[in-house]
Amino acid sequence: MDKETVATISYLSRLSFDKENEEKITKDLENIIKFVDQLDSVDTSDIEPLKSPLEKTAKTRNDQISAQNRKEQFLKNAPDANEDYFLVPRVVE
Amino acid sequence: MSIQFKTIKELSSMLRSKEVSNYELLQETYQLVKKYKNLNAFITLNEENALKKARDLDNNPSDLTLSGIPIAQKDLFVTKDLRTTCGSNMLSNFIPPYSATVIENLENAGCISIGKTNMDEFAMGSSNETSFYGNVNNPWGEKLVPGGSSGGSAAVVAAGIVPAATGTDTGGSIRQPASLCGITGIKPTYGRISRWGMIAFASSLDQAGPMARTAEDCAILMNVMCSHDIKDTTSLDENIPDFTKGLDAPIKGLKIGIVKEFDLSKLDSNVVKVFEDSKKHYESLGVEFVEVSLPNINLSVPTYYVVAPAECSSNLSRFDGVKFGKRCNDPADLEDLYIRSRSEGFGDEVKRRILIGSYVLSAGFYDAYYKKAQQVRRLIKNDFDNAFKYVDLIMSPTTRGTAFEAGSMSDPIQMYLEDLFTVPANLAGLPGISIPSGSLDSKPLGIQLIGNSLQESQLLNVAHNFQMTSDWHLRTPPLRSK
Repeated sequence: MDKETVATISYLSRLSFDKENEEKITKDLENIIKFVDQLDSVDTSDIEPLKSPLEKTAKTRNDQISAQNRKEQFLKNAPDANEDYFLVPRVVE
Repeated sequence: MSIQFKTIKELSSMLRSKEVSNYELLQETYQLVKKYKNLNAFITLNEENALKKARDLDNNPSDLTLSGIPIAQKDLFVTKDLRTTCGSNMLSNFIPPYSATVIENLENAGCISIGKTNMDEFAMGSSNETSFYGNVNNPWGEKLVPGGSSGGSAAVVAAGIVPAATGTDTGGSIRQPASLCGITGIKPTYGRISRWGMIAFASSLDQAGPMARTAEDCAILMNVMCSHDIKDTTSLDENIPDFTKGLDAPIKGLKIGIVKEFDLSKLDSNVVKVFEDSKKHYESLGVEFVEVSLPNINLSVPTYYVVAPAECSSNLSRFDGVKFGKRCNDPADLEDLYIRSRSEGFGDEVKRRILIGSYVLSAGFYDAYYKKAQQVRRLIKNDFDNAFKYVDLIMSPTTRGTAFEAGSMSDPIQMYLEDLFTVPANLAGLPGISIPSGSLDSKPLGIQLIGNSLQESQLLNVAHNFQMTSDWHLRTPPLRSK
């Protein structure tokens, strides 16, 4: 774990850190990754990964319309919106 | 007559006999909330609505199971028209347009939600120190943490303000604070309680559950909280028993497993003594203890710290400053908006876990970390499946020790190891309960019982037997008011 890796994953996560915190974060991540590296000691060849404790396929149901249009309610929670849309800074010049 | 420290069962009987009115009960509840404000256990109160509901109940009495019972809701469940922050600055202004299924189930059964309890930010923490809204104090001692992440819920029940609160448990967040605060908390089988309206942390591990003074009250709440929910694809479509039935059935002849690989010699010898005393207590009730081997169980915490951050980094990508939640001031462009909104909205622990998640999911590391952890997760589940061929339940201490002082655990990994005994049940999706079983330096300690899939009734029965024959769950903390 070096500063370059931390910079890459910070960007992937859309997070930024000031210089002061960068050092601590790098150190913390290094320790955590070292800690989880003990998983290497186990032989897992031919072991099917367990993604969820429920190993059942989700049930299907009839596609009945139940949701109402609650546009106003949802837009009310937006940091910036007009009558119909969420507003963000201009993307296309 | 004071309502403090009363159970659901006792309050229901007081309401039915009109010893107290619904309004008086709620009024006194809010007096207690204010008296113990120094616990910092609530983020948002629902006082006006709650008192109105109580008044309505006095005018139109109902015979619903939880009629008039005040309950505190963890601020991780969305509540219609009531601010829901998940302990984060990111959601400091979020007013949900709907309620979680669990909240609906509880309110439809007549309970009154009195407010939203403080918690570790997005449920990521074991001490309630990561909340944007400040630490919660453990009623058992000044400066002591209540555990986490459901620390506010545990503290309000321990202080006797409400008989019960909701919690959620991703790696121990119900059981660990229950142990440190001297109350009872159960994490049901994964899928028993709908996750719809729970703000997601790690979707394959998250599970809601009740926190209360007694196993009996937990059973009453389980009856209401569990449901099959078509809005949650991981919701179990299994028979839901009456959890209050058979609670006092004798447990003679029951076999409880002690995990060989949990090295208790590393714990404080007094902690071990409390655990041994609990075993003796169960032996006096006719239980037989058997050693079981779960060879991979000590890899649970490292497995968890790959799986949970991976799922958290995906789940928390929704907080982008566009549709709801915090947005930074004057973003230069869309990218700046994303990055600054997230960097300002999330605290350090949440950021740390998002970064680990992004790392273990990134190209080149996916197989080495994420896939590997899921494979080890399978081995841990297999270990449990095998153990349950020989025993009915598994017992361990809930935590490595009693509540510690705020600020005393600065190393993230030491904090992660706080969940050593609780994380395995989440990885395997199994039900687990923590009950008060002793005390050390006047601070409570708990034992954890883990059951096989869907065996919550058995867990509650075994816990109730302990509580019928001991008084640890009845002890009350030396509260200071402010």
